[in-house]
Amino acid sequence: MKDLSYNDVNKDVLRPLFTAEFSYLAVLATTLLVLGAGGLCWVYQLVYGLGVAGYHPPVFWGVYITTFVFWVGIGHAGTLISAVLFLTRSRWRTGIYRAAEAMTIFAVMTAALFPAIHVGRAWYAYWLFPYPNQRQLWQNFKSPLMWDVFAVSTYFTVSTIFFAIGLIPDIAAVRDATKGFTQKMYAVMALGWRGTDRQWHHYMAAYGFFAAIATPLVLSVHSVVSWDFAMADTPGWHSTIFPPYFVAGAIFSGCAMVITLMLPLSLLFKLEDYIHVWHFEHLAKLCVFTGGILTYAYGTEYYIAWYSDNQYEWGTFMDRVYGNYWWVFATMVFCNCLAPLVWWFKKVRTNYIGLFVVSVIINIGMWFERFNIIASSLSHSFDPAGWVYYTPTWVEWGILIMSFAWFFTWFLLFVKIMPSVAIAEVKEAMRPPVKFEGEHAAK
Amino acid sequence: MDLNRRDFLKTASIATAATAAACSIDPRTPVEHYLPYVQMPEDELPGVATYFSTACAECASGCGMVARAKEGRVVMVEGNPDWTEGHGLCTRGHFGLVSAYGPERVAGPTAGGKVQDWDSSIKAVSDAIAAAKAAGKQVAWLGQYRTGSLNSLLSEFAGASGLRRVHWEALGVETLLAATRQAFGVATLPTYELSGAQVILSFGMDFLGTAYGAMGMAKGWSSAKNPADGGFVTRLVCVEPRIGVTSAQADHFLPALPGTELAVALAVARLAADKVGYANAGLLAGVDVAAASKLSGIGEEKLKEIAGWITEHPSIVLPGGAVNAGVQATDLAAVTFLLNDICGNIGRSVVFGKEQSYGTVSSYADARALLEDARAGKIGVLFVDGVNPVYNFPEADKAGEALDAVDMLVQFANEKDDSTRPKTLLLPPGSSLETWGDANVTTGVYTLQQPAMTPQHNTLTVGDVVLRLAKAMGLAAPVAAEAVVDPAAAGATDAAVVAAAPVATSSAGFDYADFHAYVQTRWMKNVFDGNGSFDAWWTNVRQKGGHFAPAAATALPLTMASLPGLPTALSQSGAELALVIFPSSNLGDGRHANVPWAQELPDPISTNTWGSWAELNPKTVEKLGLGKTDSVKIKTASGEITLGYFATPGVREDTVAVVLGNGHVNMGNFGTGRGVNPMKLLASAQDATSGALATATTAASISRSEVTSDFFALSGNIDMDGRPIAMACSAEEAAAKPTGEPGEIVEIEEIPWDRRLDEKKGLHDFFPEPQHPTYRFAMAIDLNSCTGCMACVIACDLENNIPFVGPDQVRRGRGMSWIRMDRFVEGEGEHIDVRHLPSMCQNCSHAPCEGVCPVLATYHNLDGLNAMVYNRCVGTRYCANNCPYTARRFNYHTWTWPDSMYLMLNPDVTVREMGVMEKCTFCTQRTRAVKDSWRDMQIESGAQQKVPDHALVKLTACASACPTNSITFGSTNDPEGSVTKKFANPRAYTLLGTLNTKPGVRYLAKARHHVSGEAHHGAATHGEAPHGEAPHGTEHAAEIKEG
Repeated sequence: MKDLSYNDVNKDVLRPLFTAEFSYLAVLATTLLVLGAGGLCWVYQLVYGLGVAGYHPPVFWGVYITTFVFWVGIGHAGTLISAVLFLTRSRWRTGIYRAAEAMTIFAVMTAALFPAIHVGRAWYAYWLFPYPNQRQLWQNFKSPLMWDVFAVSTYFTVSTIFFAIGLIPDIAAVRDATKGFTQKMYAVMALGWRGTDRQWHHYMAAYGFFAAIATPLVLSVHSVVSWDFAMADTPGWHSTIFPPYFVAGAIFSGCAMVITLMLPLSLLFKLEDYIHVWHFEHLAKLCVFTGGILTYAYGTEYYIAWYSDNQYEWGTFMDRVYGNYWWVFATMVFCNCLAPLVWWFKKVRTNYIGLFVVSVIINIGMWFERFNIIASSLSHSFDPAGWVYYTPTWVEWGILIMSFAWFFTWFLLFVKIMPSVAIAEVKEAMRPPVKFEGEHAAK
Repeated sequence: MDLNRRDFLKTASIATAATAAACSIDPRTPVEHYLPYVQMPEDELPGVATYFSTACAECASGCGMVARAKEGRVVMVEGNPDWTEGHGLCTRGHFGLVSAYGPERVAGPTAGGKVQDWDSSIKAVSDAIAAAKAAGKQVAWLGQYRTGSLNSLLSEFAGASGLRRVHWEALGVETLLAATRQAFGVATLPTYELSGAQVILSFGMDFLGTAYGAMGMAKGWSSAKNPADGGFVTRLVCVEPRIGVTSAQADHFLPALPGTELAVALAVARLAADKVGYANAGLLAGVDVAAASKLSGIGEEKLKEIAGWITEHPSIVLPGGAVNAGVQATDLAAVTFLLNDICGNIGRSVVFGKEQSYGTVSSYADARALLEDARAGKIGVLFVDGVNPVYNFPEADKAGEALDAVDMLVQFANEKDDSTRPKTLLLPPGSSLETWGDANVTTGVYTLQQPAMTPQHNTLTVGDVVLRLAKAMGLAAPVAAEAVVDPAAAGATDAAVVAAAPVATSSAGFDYADFHAYVQTRWMKNVFDGNGSFDAWWTNVRQKGGHFAPAAATALPLTMASLPGLPTALSQSGAELALVIFPSSNLGDGRHANVPWAQELPDPISTNTWGSWAELNPKTVEKLGLGKTDSVKIKTASGEITLGYFATPGVREDTVAVVLGNGHVNMGNFGTGRGVNPMKLLASAQDATSGALATATTAASISRSEVTSDFFALSGNIDMDGRPIAMACSAEEAAAKPTGEPGEIVEIEEIPWDRRLDEKKGLHDFFPEPQHPTYRFAMAIDLNSCTGCMACVIACDLENNIPFVGPDQVRRGRGMSWIRMDRFVEGEGEHIDVRHLPSMCQNCSHAPCEGVCPVLATYHNLDGLNAMVYNRCVGTRYCANNCPYTARRFNYHTWTWPDSMYLMLNPDVTVREMGVMEKCTFCTQRTRAVKDSWRDMQIESGAQQKVPDHALVKLTACASACPTNSITFGSTNDPEGSVTKKFANPRAYTLLGTLNTKPGVRYLAKARHHVSGEAHHGAATHGEAPHGEAPHGTEHAAEIKEG
């Protein structure tokens, strides 16, 4: 690490905020274009009905719910890194937590699109929220979907507040580096930050407080999402292992996504000084660990299906391997169980290419894992007369791709509007300023 | 910004108005106006249905039917419970309702595409007849079977005008008539009384499906199948090449080598005669059983066994049908009469006296001769009535050319079909729901067809046209043919009748005001017994829908003097397959092809829709190397067709079966260009004796085709994968215990009792039954007599405004029918076991769908229904995922009906929009109506009463339609209720009840004489579980007990 002054940190981290590289603009234009095209797919679906998707009985959920769960899962790593690792004082979080946290928010925003895309009458999707109304209609709080609404909205609220609080000192730095209208905008967000001791005192208390609030969400949100399945009676869904299994999967996919995002980011904006390979290595280790949990969970599912002697359960699990969706199962096992094993080798997990390729593979694998759970279970349900093969249509693929464009658009806007590395925390982790250097050197 | 008060108010008011406007326009909901009647029609109460007892006219069987009219439009048709010859209404009967609202009906008499008036049309015809007579040409009639008044009017008309009458139908009865002449010396059709037959030996007759008289036979069969009726379960032996609706019920499916069914019949006759010491055994002396066995491929032991069954028990032997109509079809049918005589069935199960008559019946040879004459220019005027020669005749007969060669072609049809030529004068007779008519098929059973709504178009019935034509031609009918009753003496006081009735002295026999008057007069003469007032009697007849006094059964002496020799098997060269053409269960001979619901209704066996398919044995498929999406090309000397295939063990390896009914070239929007017409493959071979078309005499070569198959089976897996879905039990056990303890024969499939709860809290389990203070509506479905005929499905579709979705959507599995007819084929060979299970919403007491709906769009109501609030549904589809029965349907799009068909919609049932879930709620509109009417009665009488069992038992559309009486509806709160008793039947079980859904539907296991090893009644819990462990339920119960 080269010697950095506090001023260098400010300059390096804020630099992307005041430039507009051609490559950046090109990528942003692409994501906007894809977002628009995907939006048209959704409009098409709204006008003609969900028939433009591939659903048919008994498969009533498909790509949309798969993608919903995928994005909710992605979000988890951000909270884990920012809140849990903060509370456990893991120093390696400093370089990456800001971007990871932003990723969480955008992932949840992406996920939140899908319930609306997925329902038959999107124009009544607001009925899922309990709001007072003249007709005295109320919601069914027994429904896991209802829990989902609360879990996701809580998650979004808490993550956003936590994110905003973490940003305060850095936004103040941006405020100080800007002028005019832009400065006013940042001034609002900086909440009058002056960096006084008193402010730091309150700030650290609040930050710790929200970290504590956010921590259980890492476990609870994906547990609740998993209950959408575990609480249902469909063979292949109805299983008590789902909450821990989903949480492990979420962290697994989230960490992989952080690698996928931050590697190009750090290279593009020349932030290698702040986001080191050892950050990624830690993430890779976390992936190897959670990937192990997943592999174990897959095995347990089969063991329980066999041990329960429930022919419907066993039928579904056998169908996953030998049935129409064998290729989904094979993809899932390769991507989630086998591919991360190469990260046992230090050479691979400290190599940018090795990190990036495997992280992308994991992301693909985790999408297929959810698809495997949803589509294959539904298509092979209780009554053999109903067994079908669900194939997503171009509209569903279009909306899936749109979700990535939506996510990346937000992320790209984020890196130009907010400091993507936590300036204050990096400074905290740095050696104190130069004037004490002599003392240090003398020791 | 400066904003003064006025600007503020302006802006605010514009914003408010814009918001209000934006919120009040819902582009998806059409604006509807409620308009009151200016003049209230008499006896019409908006919202209250009017019922008309009438007759079905979709085929010549003349079944009784009730039409339900709402605000002047018929919205539903059902069986007439007063009619004695059958239960419910068959699938095709329901299509009459749809046809009545067909969007392509012609508006009036049409010539050359132009609508004209009736007077000029009649005049044109009578002029053409005069011209034909002057030119020495014939006037001919090619029509469907007509019974009752129209038949007699046509006879009179033919007598007076010299009309050449040919009545031919593709699935006709000419063979059977020839056979009775051969066996008994009289050409008459016996009535087959199946109810007492402990053994049924069928040589291919589709007596539960497309055969004439099937409704009566299905009723009899269901009684013979029911162990509670007579203490036995009938054994069905089918000797035919393919599993169809009827042979799917076979306990012994014996596909003889194609063309050798006659050999089997002769051999069994010989063996049976030897066994009982048949008086006329000499007749059979020449039959070589060993040779017959060798020829047919059915072992001698099996033949002996069959001979034993049919002689030792009351039995019935049924003749052949469309699937094995060969060149010796009459001989085969005649031998079945001999067999019945040997077994003593004549007069017992095969009865005369109460015969069946389809009016004038001509053979295929007659019809072909007529077409030949037409081609030769000998026919001046040809009337085509309800038949479709261009479709139904083999290509070689050149029916199209024949029709073109006549000078004037008059067609009675509401819509154009394949036989409509450019020059055809199309005379629309109107729907049977709009017009008068009658039918008389079974001796003594008269069904009256009366209009249930005002005609929608400018139509005139065939009878009216004939009467007017006779008048225009100045014809005088031979009046003396029937005894004339003086209307006054008969007590007729109705002025109209007196005026309309012909005066006995009148020489003009066709001098009736209209066909209605003709029908009424004829009933007065022939049906009315002369006691009391005719008016009162006629009112009663109109209320009941006819006069039902079936004649007594008698026997006829067999006069058969000689027997045919052993047949020769169909000559096939090595790679060729025997071609079998079978009628579509839904489209029949093709006449219903333009009914979209008929096209969309899955075939009971293949579950295909909207097209044709060929049936091949899986081994043949393998031999041909056919891929899943491949088609097959079937080629004979006469033609070739390419179509998708269905691999089924229900067809012989050396046979290919092709469905008849589709492949029209001009049959309206829904019927044209779907599938192929197998008649193209036939040469004009005939049955030697009757002159019937021999459809089962062709060898076809078959090859793989690259064309992508459009075959789509709606039913996913062909078998049950060892799961306890459609269960079966042994017939012996079922017969021994027609009643008894629930669970005695078949496990009920419930979660085990937790006795700890039971003792401490009086609970059954953690999810006790919800409160049902007055009713717990429930349904029992007897799989034992369910034939999978789909009548319940179509009845449900029409009652509940369920749309058809078209071939593209249905091939994605998006059919909307609330009842899914599951079809499973277990095993193969003789004991192939086809099971049908009508699966609808089970209205569970502990419904998995209810808990998961986030907006409470579905909930359990006090009557035990799993109610559905369409308006509240957001469309998360979680309920549908969570339904183990896959009973819920989703509106993928806003489905639409052709404009004219909106008149058919049942106003009691909401039409659902895009994005909403829907499903069966036990016809909640009907239960609500019946509850209301009984509550009204209660208020009037002051006595507290519930809706009685008899008002509920056939209340739902499906129960009411079922031709075999397999569906029972009612309330299980009524300890004496029919459904409560069925629930306690030892064969009753709940579908997937181990999930603790507490379904409101129970199925009664099918009783078979041979239950195939797989999916036996214990399959769920005994041998077939993946690892063969002890049953779930009992194991747990035991554990809990010990604990």
